[in-house]
Amino acid sequence: MAHSGPTPRRTGAWVLITVLVLISILGTLIVPIYARSSPYIGAFPFFYWYQLLWVPFVAVLMAICYLVSTHGSRSTASGPAAHDGSGEAR
Amino acid sequence: MSINWVSFSILLFLFAVVALVGFAATRWRRTEDMLHLNEWGLGGRGFGTFVTWFLLGGDVYTAYTFIAVPALVFGTGSAGFFTLSYTIMVYPIAFIFLPRLWSIARVHGYVTPADFVRGRYGSRGLALAVAFTGILAVMPYIALQLVGIQAVLTVMGIGGSSSNGFVKDLPLIIAFLVLAGYTFVSGLRAPALIAFIKDTLIYVMIIVAIIYIPARVGGWHHIFGVANTHLTSTNPKTGKPNGSLILEPVGYWAFATTALGSALALFMYPHNITGTFAARRRNVIRRNVAALPAYSVVLGLIALLGYVALATPGVAGQVKAHDANAQLALPFMFRDMFPSWFAGIAFSAVVIGALVPAAIMSIAAANLFCRNIWKEYFRPNASNAEQTRVAQTASLLVKLGALMFVLFVNTTYAIQLQLLGGIWIVQTFPAIVAGLYTRWFNRWALVIGWAVAMVWGTIEAYQLPSPGKPGTHFGASSDTLPLIGHTVYIGLTGLVMNLIIAVLLTLLFNALKVPGGIDETQPHQFVADPEPDAPPPIPVIAGVGHETGAADSG
Repeated sequence: MAHSGPTPRRTGAWVLITVLVLISILGTLIVPIYARSSPYIGAFPFFYWYQLLWVPFVAVLMAICYLVSTHGSRSTASGPAAHDGSGEAR
Repeated sequence: MSINWVSFSILLFLFAVVALVGFAATRWRRTEDMLHLNEWGLGGRGFGTFVTWFLLGGDVYTAYTFIAVPALVFGTGSAGFFTLSYTIMVYPIAFIFLPRLWSIARVHGYVTPADFVRGRYGSRGLALAVAFTGILAVMPYIALQLVGIQAVLTVMGIGGSSSNGFVKDLPLIIAFLVLAGYTFVSGLRAPALIAFIKDTLIYVMIIVAIIYIPARVGGWHHIFGVANTHLTSTNPKTGKPNGSLILEPVGYWAFATTALGSALALFMYPHNITGTFAARRRNVIRRNVAALPAYSVVLGLIALLGYVALATPGVAGQVKAHDANAQLALPFMFRDMFPSWFAGIAFSAVVIGALVPAAIMSIAAANLFCRNIWKEYFRPNASNAEQTRVAQTASLLVKLGALMFVLFVNTTYAIQLQLLGGIWIVQTFPAIVAGLYTRWFNRWALVIGWAVAMVWGTIEAYQLPSPGKPGTHFGASSDTLPLIGHTVYIGLTGLVMNLIIAVLLTLLFNALKVPGGIDETQPHQFVADPEPDAPPPIPVIAGVGHETGAADSG
C-alpha cells in the first residue's frame, strides 16, 4: 500500500485550509467582537449586519478551501496511490 | 377562531401534492433491489451535489428555523441570534471531518455512525451507546417539528380551538400518518424529492416576507424601535427585562457555548449523517459545505422576522391570549399581513418544511435501530429484506416516541427540544470524530466518558425550569458553571467532562494493558473516493469484521 508522507505542497494547502476554517469559526464565536450597536447600516445595529454579512463571507472561505483541497488531491493523483483504486491517498 | 378557507384549501392542496410525490418517490432512481437497506435508508447512495444540497438543506433547516428561532427572538431578542452564529460555524467544522466520515463509510458500506464506531473500535458496546444516543436525540428534534406544525394549525383555526382533545389533535395526527406512510414506503427517496418543493416554498415565502411585511409595518427603524421597547420592558413573571436588542456581557458565554455546542452536535445527528452518506462522491460533501450557507442567510432573515412580528400590530396581543405561546408569533403575522392565498403558501412551507426533516430523522433512527441493535443483538443473520422491514417498523415507533416528547416536555420555547437533543447527541462526538483521526482512545474509556456526560446532562437539564415557571423541567439548557462562574450550554460542559474522563481512563487502561478492539479500517480508506459504480468491498471486509468482533468484543 502506498504510504508516502504528505508532499510540501499538500502540507501548505492544509495549513491554508486550517487557517481559513479557524477564521470562519472564531468570527462569530468571539461574541465581544460584534456585541455592539454601532456602526449602523441603515436601521441595522452592528450586531445584526455583522452576523448576516459573515454568512456569505464564510461561504466564500469554504469555496476557497474546497478549491485548494481538490487542487491538492489532483497533484497527488498521478502518484503511485492513484493505482490502488481508492483515489487520493496521503 | 374561524377557518380561512382560502388558506386552508391551499395548504390542503400542497399537502396532497407532497403526499403524492412522497409515495411516487419509490419509483425515482429505482433499482432492482429496493429491499436492500442501502436503497430504503440511503436512497441508493447515489445523490449528486444538487440533490444533496436540497437533502441536507431539508435536514438542517426545519421547524427549528421557521418556528422555534423566530419565537426565541420574538421573546428574548438578541440571545436568539446564537442560532445564526451556530449555522455559520457548523460548515467550517463539517469541512474538516465530514469528508473523512463519508470515505470510510463508503469503503466499508457503513449505513450509520454506529457502524463506523463498531468497525473502528471493534466495540459493540460503544456502537450501542452511539446508536442509543442517536435514537434518543432525534425524538425531541422530531417533536419540535410536530410543535411547528401544531403552531400553524392553531393559527389557522384547525382543530386547535376545539375543547375535545382528540378533535384538537386530529389534523396533526392525520399529517403524521401521511408522513409515516410515505416514509414507510419510499424511504429516503421521499424526503429527497419533497425537499425540492419544500425549499422552493421556503425561499418564496422568506423573500416575500422580508420585503413585503417590514415595509407594511413601518420600516426597519420602527421595527428595531418597537423591539427595543419591548425587550427592555420588565417581564412581570420573572421581574427581569424580557431580553435585549444587543447582547449584554452577561449573556456572552451562554450565546457562544450554545452556538458552538449546537454546531459540534449537528453532524452527529443520525439524520444529517444519513444525508451525508447518501452522497455519490467525496467532493459532493465539500462542495455542499460551501453551498449550504445559502440556507443560513434564510435562517438569519427568519430570525429577524421575530422582530417584525413584535412590530406587527395585534400579534403580541394574540400570542398573549394563546397562553403566551411565542411559537405562534410568526404564523399570526403571516395570517394578518399576507393575503389569505399567500398565507396559505407560507403555512404550507412551514408544515412541509417540518415534515421533510421529520421523515429523514425517523429513517435515520430506524437505520440505527435495525443495524446496530436488532441485527447486532437479536438477529445477526437477518436478510436485507428483513432489515428493511424492521427499519420501516422502527421508523413508526420513533415517531411515537417523538409524540411522547410533545405531550410530556412542555417548555416555553420549542427550541429547548432541539437543545435537549443536542446535549445528548454531542456526547458521541469524541467516539466518532476523534475516531476519524486516531485510535488512541480506549473504547471503554469512551463508553464511560459518554455515560457520565449523558447522565449528568440529563439530570442537569431536567432540573432547569422555564423562565418564570418554577417547578417545570427541561425549560433551559445552559447553567452556571461553578468554577468559571459563567452560564454555559450543558451539552458543551458535558462534552468537556466526557473528553477529560475519556483521556484519563485511556491513560489508565493503557497502563493496565486493557486490550483495545480490532480496527477494521486502514489509514488510506479515510481519504478514499471510490467510483460510485465500483462494487463496495462489503462482503470481504465486513465478514472479517464480524468474526473478529464476535470473538473480541464483550
